[in-house]
Amino acid sequence: MIDDIRVGVLIASSSIKRGNKKTLLFIVFVLSLIFMNLVFLPSMIGGMTVLFTGIMQDYPYGDIVIEPTGDNTYINNADNVLQKVRAVEGVRAATKRLDVGASIEHKQNVVGVTITGVIPTEEYEISQYPYIIKEGDFLGELSRDEIIIGSIISGTSTTFGEIYDDLGETRVGSLVDVTYSNGVKRTYKVKGIMEGNFELVDLNAMVHYKEIEDVYGLDKGKATSVVVRIDEPGTEDEMKAKIREAGVNEQVFTWADKSETLIRQALQSLGAIDVMSKFVGLIVGAALILIIIYINILNRKKEIGILKAVGITPRSIVLSYAFLSMFYVSLGIFAGLILYLSLMFYFQANPVVFYETMEIRPQIDVMLVIQSIVTMLTLSVIAGTLPAWSVSKESILKAIWGR
Amino acid sequence: MIKVKNLKRYYGSGSTTVKALNGVSFEINKGEFVAIMGASGSGKTTILRILALLDDATSGEYTIRGLKVSSLPEAERSYYRLTQVGYVFQDYALINEMTAAENVYILSMMEGKSKKESYKVALEALEKVGLKDKHDRIPDELSGGEKQRVAIARAIAKKPDIMFADEPCANLDTRNSEQVLDVFKDLNDNYGQTIVMVTHEPWHVKYVDRVITFKDGVMVGDEWVEDR
Repeated sequence: MIDDIRVGVLIASSSIKRGNKKTLLFIVFVLSLIFMNLVFLPSMIGGMTVLFTGIMQDYPYGDIVIEPTGDNTYINNADNVLQKVRAVEGVRAATKRLDVGASIEHKQNVVGVTITGVIPTEEYEISQYPYIIKEGDFLGELSRDEIIIGSIISGTSTTFGEIYDDLGETRVGSLVDVTYSNGVKRTYKVKGIMEGNFELVDLNAMVHYKEIEDVYGLDKGKATSVVVRIDEPGTEDEMKAKIREAGVNEQVFTWADKSETLIRQALQSLGAIDVMSKFVGLIVGAALILIIIYINILNRKKEIGILKAVGITPRSIVLSYAFLSMFYVSLGIFAGLILYLSLMFYFQANPVVFYETMEIRPQIDVMLVIQSIVTMLTLSVIAGTLPAWSVSKESILKAIWGR
Repeated sequence: MIKVKNLKRYYGSGSTTVKALNGVSFEINKGEFVAIMGASGSGKTTILRILALLDDATSGEYTIRGLKVSSLPEAERSYYRLTQVGYVFQDYALINEMTAAENVYILSMMEGKSKKESYKVALEALEKVGLKDKHDRIPDELSGGEKQRVAIARAIAKKPDIMFADEPCANLDTRNSEQVLDVFKDLNDNYGQTIVMVTHEPWHVKYVDRVITFKDGVMVGDEWVEDR
């Protein structure tokens, strides 16, 4: 067996050293594209997933969200919860919110919405809401008769304009009538229109926290959620445990826990596309690798016949093509990795833009890259071994004659 | 050394059967330099391929040094080709991506010798055919005669019992043909190498001991060359 390996290596290495360099370059180029095909689309899908989950963090849930236990509508001691949370090491900021149902009316157009009561000054450190005001301004500490509405509700969304009901071109300064779920009616002046190009944001409205307290006659310190941002992204689970340890007895979720239920369908769809693209990529890649190596071996059929005729064992011949095939594929993977990383860096700097503002930056999935490398190397062994084995089983004279 | 008895090789079946060999019997002794001659299609190359275990006979038997090689399994035939038989092809059959030395020493490596030892064996064989100084050339950098001499070096490096050569001068001019035949003669005269060579050139006869003549798949002549 050792002699077979030594001879196999000699045949493969001489073929690499003195073979046609243009053919080698072409094979490596095609193999690098096959590698790209395996990893690029999943990276883009990964980028989309991160974008969607990023929206969850930047708007409704922060890094960690605390919600009432059981059937309770409110956290009764939200200020106490906030105090405990802010004392936890690693917490960057926290705020309370009050979400309520309401309908908004403007010039006989009525739209049902969720209105969130926020403490405006705290939101700057918690969410992106203050930074996505496309017309007017965000709420201030004294904004009691003012409202922020999403661009879809206002009828100014360029992305979702045709899909949802709206108030018909509401502008900054327009007066809108809000009827809360408890029947209380208030009139507000539109202070700003926010646009995040995401339904969860653009279909909402926002008023001052105290306004909701007032409308619902709530005692001080009630909230429907406490939203927390942490110093180190990626340590959400650890921070969740720390918050619990700090004595918070309400329900504590990470953004991932919440996103999973809210955008599970979207993520599942993306996951299905991801799996399909990987599967198709694998089939196409396997077929191409087999074709390339098979054609390469067919062109060397005479050589295989000669080697057999002079007494080289079929095992050595098969091994030599397995080595050769692994070498081609390794170079292809290397070239593919360079191409892939170059594209990744390019798209990090120049993200793909959807709906004018949604920037998708592809994500490098190290496990996927490793899986693709292992897959291609495995395929290379099969692709090199099978045709060489088949040719080496043929009659010597037929192989030499190239039949 | 070689005994061939009623050997037949048919291609196809029924009315389209081609009888390339139709009952051939002869013996070749150790140290002989034999030429197999005949017109195109006479069966001379077919018999050589069968003797060198590159092809199978339809019927009949042949033995080399008493061993019935015709019935060996493929793995043993491969080993036999590697260790006992040297074969020189008409079109050299060298591996184009290997140097002259590599073309030769790959067989020694296959036999289990170290690379260094194999290289030494290859250089000795190339020296015998006058190509030691061109050991690092690839076939494309050699003339037709030189390529054929590398092929001979490959065949003799393993010191085979018998060397078969299938029209080794077919693609060579007279000068190169003489060089190749001189190498064969030297191997036969000085090393006692048994050589069986297929040729259709009458002037090659002066190099050999014996001429076996084929016609239409049967042996029609077996003569000793007296004034070699």
